[in-house]
Amino acid sequence: MSARDLLADWRGNPFFVLAVGTDESRADVERAGQKLLALLAVGSAAADHYQTPFGPATRDADQVRQALAALRDPNTRVLHELWANVAQDGGTALRATPVDGWEAADRAIGWTKPWPD
Amino acid sequence: MNAIKVRPLYVGIDLGTTNSTVAVFDGHELTVVRNGQGSILTPSVVRIDGRGNVLVGARARRFLDSDPANTRSEFKRLMGTAHQLEFPASGLVRRPEELSAEVLKSLRQDVADQLGVLPERAVVSVPALFELHQTAAVSDAARRAGFERIELIQEPVASAIAAGWTQQGSNGPWLVYDLGGGTFDVSLLDTQEGLLRVVGHDGDNFLGGRDFDRVLIDLVLSKLTADGLVIDRANPQHGPALRRLRLAAEDAKIELTRAAEAPIAVSGLNLGDRSADVDVVVTRSEYESLITPLIDRSLDICTRLLAAHGIGQGVLERVVLVGGPTVTPLLRERVRAALGAGFGEGLDPMTLVAQGAALFAGTVALDGRPVAPAAEATGPKVWLQFPAMTSDLSPFVVGKLLDQSGTVEKIQISRSEGEWTSEPTPCEADGTFAIMVSLLPRQSTSFDLRGVLADGRTIALHPERFSITHGITLGDPPLSRSVGVALADDRVQVYFDRGSPLPIRRTFVLRTAEVVHPGAEGYALKVPIVQGEFASAHLCRLVGALEIPSSALHAVLPAGSEVELTIELDRGGQLRAQARIASIDQIFDHVALLVTPQVSLEAMSDALAKLRSRAAALSRSAFSDRSSKTAARLSTALPRLDDMQRNIDAASGGDLDAGEQARRELSDFDALLAEIEADQAWPELGKKIEDSFAMMLIWVAGYGHDAEKTALNNAYAASRRAFVAKDAEEVERQLGVIRSLGNAAYFRHPQAWEWEFQHRAARVGESTDIRRASELVASGQEAVRQRDVVKLEQIVRELWRLDPVDRHEQSLGHGSGLRSR
Repeated sequence: MSARDLLADWRGNPFFVLAVGTDESRADVERAGQKLLALLAVGSAAADHYQTPFGPATRDADQVRQALAALRDPNTRVLHELWANVAQDGGTALRATPVDGWEAADRAIGWTKPWPD
Repeated sequence: MNAIKVRPLYVGIDLGTTNSTVAVFDGHELTVVRNGQGSILTPSVVRIDGRGNVLVGARARRFLDSDPANTRSEFKRLMGTAHQLEFPASGLVRRPEELSAEVLKSLRQDVADQLGVLPERAVVSVPALFELHQTAAVSDAARRAGFERIELIQEPVASAIAAGWTQQGSNGPWLVYDLGGGTFDVSLLDTQEGLLRVVGHDGDNFLGGRDFDRVLIDLVLSKLTADGLVIDRANPQHGPALRRLRLAAEDAKIELTRAAEAPIAVSGLNLGDRSADVDVVVTRSEYESLITPLIDRSLDICTRLLAAHGIGQGVLERVVLVGGPTVTPLLRERVRAALGAGFGEGLDPMTLVAQGAALFAGTVALDGRPVAPAAEATGPKVWLQFPAMTSDLSPFVVGKLLDQSGTVEKIQISRSEGEWTSEPTPCEADGTFAIMVSLLPRQSTSFDLRGVLADGRTIALHPERFSITHGITLGDPPLSRSVGVALADDRVQVYFDRGSPLPIRRTFVLRTAEVVHPGAEGYALKVPIVQGEFASAHLCRLVGALEIPSSALHAVLPAGSEVELTIELDRGGQLRAQARIASIDQIFDHVALLVTPQVSLEAMSDALAKLRSRAAALSRSAFSDRSSKTAARLSTALPRLDDMQRNIDAASGGDLDAGEQARRELSDFDALLAEIEADQAWPELGKKIEDSFAMMLIWVAGYGHDAEKTALNNAYAASRRAFVAKDAEEVERQLGVIRSLGNAAYFRHPQAWEWEFQHRAARVGESTDIRRASELVASGQEAVRQRDVVKLEQIVRELWRLDPVDRHEQSLGHGSGLRSR
């Protein structure tokens, strides 16, 4: 996944797509989503774009339904909450700092063996 | 009767293997419709007599015993296959969907007889694990029955809606255990604050009450053999006798739910060259020992579903039982013991699906009444959007003024009983508005819509009135199996992952694998659509194909031409696909939904023999490797080979359904062996993870962004975890992530495109279009000299598209003419 894909993923975070906060209740998220779907169906001029920390993005009914489905599942909602909150910090993890050579590689990637030898 | 004509008529139909049911919902009440005989169940049986007269339901079922050749049942299991069913007395031949259409027509007439309205629209249920061509056959049947529009709903979702409607207020995960005549579906649901969500499905398309009958008949046949009377499934002359025995066994099965033993007595059985009388007694304990493995098979599927979603023992709030076989006492005992949850009370397992389908018709506002001529519009027209049913007491009503002459400035909505009125809400510049309304709990609330003029006067709008029912909100149903396009290298371009919410639509740009020529006949380009969870196309089930005929092509398509392919699935799993080929400005959208081809008995016997020898080879190597896990898996799987043999025998005796079952089991068994073979190669996968990581690490460390480095580290750790947990699918997924991170970083190296070019240039003779490839190599060499990296990249990308097609892989990929880049 390239940095561009990561940004696209972040822009597509369900909380941004539905324009709801990470602390909104399940019922409020549902209501916001249904309202958006209805607005998109009647062709509202304001409903097809939204704001993210990375700039404006566009949405359609399919994306809204996917976002609703993602937030209905408590397990995926937790993940999206995490990413939405990280994104609000400005996405510092996206800045590149290239390194040279094999020796620096392990260190640069912050790599530690995740299992015992 | 009058109330019905004023209120909406939402019609839900459960088209079952054994029995069918229809229910209606009017926004307030749910009613199960009785047929002409006063019963709520209409047997899914059709008879055509010598004069071509069609009988449906109980009247037809009576002839199953005396005239089985002209009386057909259980055709639902053959929907979407190429089978033709003969009615020799009349000389007529009917396809399974035509017979289903007769059943639907009869149910439609029952609604008209009882409620005075012949419905034109309805919701029809289908098993969740029905494949795309099977759901298409159901739609076809409904159209033939005279319905102008239908929506399909997955059976477990329908049961869930009905159970959720009658048991509102409870929260938490619950299970619908649906064992029908021919299929088993289990669904995990979750209700929170009235929002009903289908968490996941599982099931077996060939496990049902009919299998209970089959084991009972096997028992009877073995008792008869012991008494010296041999009835042979593989002998076509014994077919009618077997059908009569099956009817008697069905009655005995019902009796055994109450009594300790049941007699099976049939006189004058026609065995071709002679006739015989049968009189045997079956005890309940004999029967229960035979059905225990079948029940356990269903419970294994339940456990698998719960484990897949991390639901442990004792967490389930309740289990809702659906389907005739669930009245079996042993089944209830074992389900309760295994799942550790009580049963939903007051729910009728026989009609729950139809009730849910009718409620669903209500949630999507699919009114079955013929459309009345539009009333004279009384005011400016408004396009309204609102949920016909919702669990939210304060939902939004959204609209747009279609007539924007500027006279209406604000919109006001009030409840028709006068107890609540919204603030006048200004319209946006484009005429849209959104107003939160207040519903009355547990009923249908009627609202009036008014426009407010600049001077404060209010006028009527069109529509003047609408209503919303407070009930449940239904989350979009998830797709039960992943759907994708088979590629020419036997891989799958996944379009929709299992669990994706329906409806769904996605577009990918694929490329032709070879040069495609216009011509007079045949298909120039085949786009096979497959369902399944395997990375190899040949292990997934082919469910349809978009075929582009040679005669329709206007021009030659060079290898690597872009094909913009869109696939769309609606809520009921109906498929649409469209291929746009920009270079010749043509669009193709004819999806040939495959009827499953009939496989000859010889081909099935050959396939079975091959599976046997593969299984034997695996057993031998499991033994020499001392792999007890593989040996255990094989020992539980091997008896299925004998089941397949039995089904192939029964198919040669004329049992079409057994043939279908054998065909499917052969393909499932093939996939199972492939899984075990992959398991045996497991240590190699560990090495593959290490190699991939080592190779990609240097590129990502040198040329990746910080986020990519973190992602690589995470993917590596995740692939190791998946390796330890023996989750092959996840290992492959993480390896894919590692590869794409590495590739992205590699191509940032200043010389990467040149290296790639030299590699391709050396293999120019293998290209699908050597002339074009040679031209590209010449321009590429020029680009290298001029250090034009941008041009070189373009050339390499085009050379990739001219890579040769491996014929063996292409035939495994269902003959696909596409590749992914």
